Amino acid sequence: MNRWLTWAWVAFLLTLPLWMEDQYFLHILITSGIFTIAAMSLNLLLGYTGQLSLGHVAFFGIGAYTSALVSLGFDLELTDTYTFVFAPRPVWVAFVAGIVVAGMSGWLIGKISFKVRGAYFVIVTISFAEVVRLVALNWVDLTEGPMALNNIPPFTLAVPGVWELAFFHKLPNYYLVLAVAIVSYVTVRRLVHSRIGRAMIALRENEPLAASAGVDVTRYLVLAAIVSAAMAGAAGGLYTHYIRIVDPDVFLFIYTVTMVIMVITGGKGTLAGPIVGGLIFGILPEVLREFASPEVQWIIYGVFMIMIVFFLPNGIVPALSAWWNDRFGATPSAGGPGTGLPDLEAATRTAGEAT
Amino acid sequence: MKHWFKQAALLIAAVIFGAASNSAHADETIKIGVTEPLTGAVAASGNYVVQGAKIAESFLNAKGGILGHKVELIIEDNKSNPKEAVASVEKLIVRDKVPVLMGAWSSTYTLAVMPKLIEYGVPMVVETSSSGKITTSGNPWIFRISPTSEMEAKSFGTKVAGFNIKKADFLVVNNDWGRGAASKFGAMLKSKGIAVGVIETMDAKAQDLSAQLAKIKASGGDTLFLTTGVEQITLVLKQAKEQRVTHRIITTGGSSSPDQLIAQAGAAADGTYHLLFFAPWFPEAAPNPAVAKKFVDEWNKRGYNFPGLTEGFRGHDGIMTIAAAIEAAGKAEPDAIRKALWGVKVDGVNGDIAFIKQGPAGKESGQNIPNVYIVTIQNGKVALP
Amino acid sequence: MDQFLQHILNGTILGGTYALLGIGLTLIFGIMRVVNFSHGELYTFGAYIVYLFAMVLSANFFVSLVLAMVLGVVLGAAIEFVLLRPLRGASIDTTMLVMIGAWIALQNTEQLVWSGVAKSITHPFPAEPLILGPVSVSWVRVFVFAVAVLLIVGTHLLIHRTRLGKAMRATFQDRETAALMGVNIGAIHTATFALGSGLAAAAGALLGPVFVVYPTMGDLAALKSFAIVILGGLGNFMGATLGGFILGFVEEMGAGYISSGYRDAMGFLLIIIVLVFRPTGLFARKERVG
Repeated sequence: MNRWLTWAWVAFLLTLPLWMEDQYFLHILITSGIFTIAAMSLNLLLGYTGQLSLGHVAFFGIGAYTSALVSLGFDLELTDTYTFVFAPRPVWVAFVAGIVVAGMSGWLIGKISFKVRGAYFVIVTISFAEVVRLVALNWVDLTEGPMALNNIPPFTLAVPGVWELAFFHKLPNYYLVLAVAIVSYVTVRRLVHSRIGRAMIALRENEPLAASAGVDVTRYLVLAAIVSAAMAGAAGGLYTHYIRIVDPDVFLFIYTVTMVIMVITGGKGTLAGPIVGGLIFGILPEVLREFASPEVQWIIYGVFMIMIVFFLPNGIVPALSAWWNDRFGATPSAGGPGTGLPDLEAATRTAGEAT
Repeated sequence: MKHWFKQAALLIAAVIFGAASNSAHADETIKIGVTEPLTGAVAASGNYVVQGAKIAESFLNAKGGILGHKVELIIEDNKSNPKEAVASVEKLIVRDKVPVLMGAWSSTYTLAVMPKLIEYGVPMVVETSSSGKITTSGNPWIFRISPTSEMEAKSFGTKVAGFNIKKADFLVVNNDWGRGAASKFGAMLKSKGIAVGVIETMDAKAQDLSAQLAKIKASGGDTLFLTTGVEQITLVLKQAKEQRVTHRIITTGGSSSPDQLIAQAGAAADGTYHLLFFAPWFPEAAPNPAVAKKFVDEWNKRGYNFPGLTEGFRGHDGIMTIAAAIEAAGKAEPDAIRKALWGVKVDGVNGDIAFIKQGPAGKESGQNIPNVYIVTIQNGKVALP
Repeated sequence: MDQFLQHILNGTILGGTYALLGIGLTLIFGIMRVVNFSHGELYTFGAYIVYLFAMVLSANFFVSLVLAMVLGVVLGAAIEFVLLRPLRGASIDTTMLVMIGAWIALQNTEQLVWSGVAKSITHPFPAEPLILGPVSVSWVRVFVFAVAVLLIVGTHLLIHRTRLGKAMRATFQDRETAALMGVNIGAIHTATFALGSGLAAAAGALLGPVFVVYPTMGDLAALKSFAIVILGGLGNFMGATLGGFILGFVEEMGAGYISSGYRDAMGFLLIIIVLVFRPTGLFARKERVG
């Protein structure tokens, strides 16, 4: 049943542009898709290790800036006599570079931030995002600062010398985002079902117990941060080559808030949660555009956020899944979304063996 | 993978059918898309521009519209954010099917939407943005009526001798506009043999600028060039007085709204100079006094905020330029409007609007050469120097 | 040298209001375990209330200031009662999300009511600055600093010399035991949130006339309060007070001698450095690391 639904959903998304002619709606789906990938990456940290990072947009932005800079090329005057010149590279290389650099910053920021927990962790992550934003704003030689990097090349597909397709239009961008989303989904799914994933979940449920069972806490957290940051970087790369401009506003706190609310609304710690949340919060602002004044749209957004936390604290996916089980008495397949609490002791045991 | 896909599908269906019902409307008006920041950091300015645009809309409709059709502005909020600017333009072009746009206030938002203009082939009249990149990057769908920082600096350069400046300092907002002004005015001053002291930046949201001012005071210049929004200008004037900064202050960028400064900074605004693109106190001194007077009268009649006029006129001039192009094209179609824009001669509030070519050959953008005015504040009154 | 002295003076004056913002936030965190993202909106609210009374209704300036603080307390109590009371015992993350929602909704309500155009509040102090040798400061800032110090001392006394303060301290140290000893935890939470909100509103009311008032003015104030609170250690009253002054100095010196573009980064850099070397803040007594 599960599998069937997954395939039906993928088939629906694959064929959507064939009968969906509204280009504006396709644009909304592309940007929602990009933020859904970012939300999936945040879910890995927030949902599976239980660490709320409010600086997640830093990785998204680092991915976006790296990918933009590598594809545009840049030169840096390091000393008066020596200038480092970086020639433009193909967009795909840039995209991968963005993922790698974002992953590396995930490692660095994770190493430092995971010294603390709870509210301290939240504020340290905000601080990192702000510092990165201010560097992007003020390091004008590299980033053009507030003047923004523009004319960023779009993705291209080419058989050298024979045929080339630049992704100026929405259709190829749509399929690209969909492909990256599927890869991200599979990555997260594999990861959380592996020993590493069970160790992460054990950490979330009871850190001292997991630590005493031999789980190397910091190592798993940093590992999660690297994977999560790399995925967010991929989303940033998609964003930068689709929107084709990147400026320091890409680090705005509201983007992190958007990712968090996508994860929470859909259901943190479930595989499908960020997708449901991503689609709802990607599309909701556009629906609101039709009938509310700009301020009122934001007020509704804020109130909606509060309502979700009050009435669906675990998110939509677990709620629906509970309802489905109540009604049809089906037992969820092991490890599927909304499985609820895993067998903590077993998880801790396997994780202990893994280290 | 449970039942949630149904929810998602329902939601999507709702949006799609919403779209279908929208585009089914009978289309008798000529639509003009407007994307401005109506919420967020620079909301105040965006709202003024929209008010000016609405006045232009009512003027046009009062005389029977264009080509026998009523004009309808479709106004979208770009939320002071480049991603939302792109979304708003997508919506305006694809869903509302507007043949021409005006926007997007900040250079960043304008640069963000420019690839979309090429993608869909829709022209846009740029009413405020000052970045040189906008008209030099080879986008043939861009027509700018506002001056670049370079043009403003050049225009001021013809009058700089009268100010007898020895050494100038800069305090600018940390965005493309502020930094652009600092570099272009700095270059202009240096070419006239005037020394440039410190160049200080401030975050657009910063309220306490005492640290920057202490440094400027210590630099020993005689004139301070100030580029930022009117709120921050108010703060700088007040705090400069507190710290006894004796520089003569000249604001650039045309957003200074001297009335608001007099009301809010009081005596601290005395003796300051302001570069403006419209001086609403002296509509009779404008190149087209009748147009300027009519606009100011309507603005006051509607009870809009008088200080907003120095921004609001941009909306009026932008819409009037578009209307003239549609009239000349004889039809409300994007490419026809683009071609017609090259030939327009509009009596705007700022002055005569016409476009010259800028940027790489074959795909030039249009650039207007606007007028720049200097006013000063003396004893709580705006005066021509 | 003159420039240096002016920076010292500016930093001190600035630090007073930073401290006021910081202690409000740190009290709320220490006692309620809530990371209050709506703190900046209370600050904005205070400023708009002064504008409403002093400018729109032409009330006395000082009366308006007092009214702003009182209404800040009332709004804080209302937020606690409606949004936080039903969530008592929920995780930090949950309440934090609710406060982020409240922040977005409140800020845009302010924009809807007052529009985005900045408002200015006139104050009865002389326009000429107070000149102290080579440096100068405006009279209104001297007044703001004096009131801020009074409020900080007053809050300190409230916490250390009154029954309410004793109950608050007991709740801070051990909530369960305090409850067993007959402390009404619900009432303490409401009182704490109202007090913290009142202090934020007071900061906004005091700074409104110094600066200008607009809907997004609270964003930077909120971010700075977070920096201050982390510097001092979450829940640490003295830490937040000192943290406020430290941030004031660091920003002034950073902008004056390093780069004004990085002025607002100073606080965050300081946070990162502090947390690398002293993860519980500069003045923390209690370990609170997981």
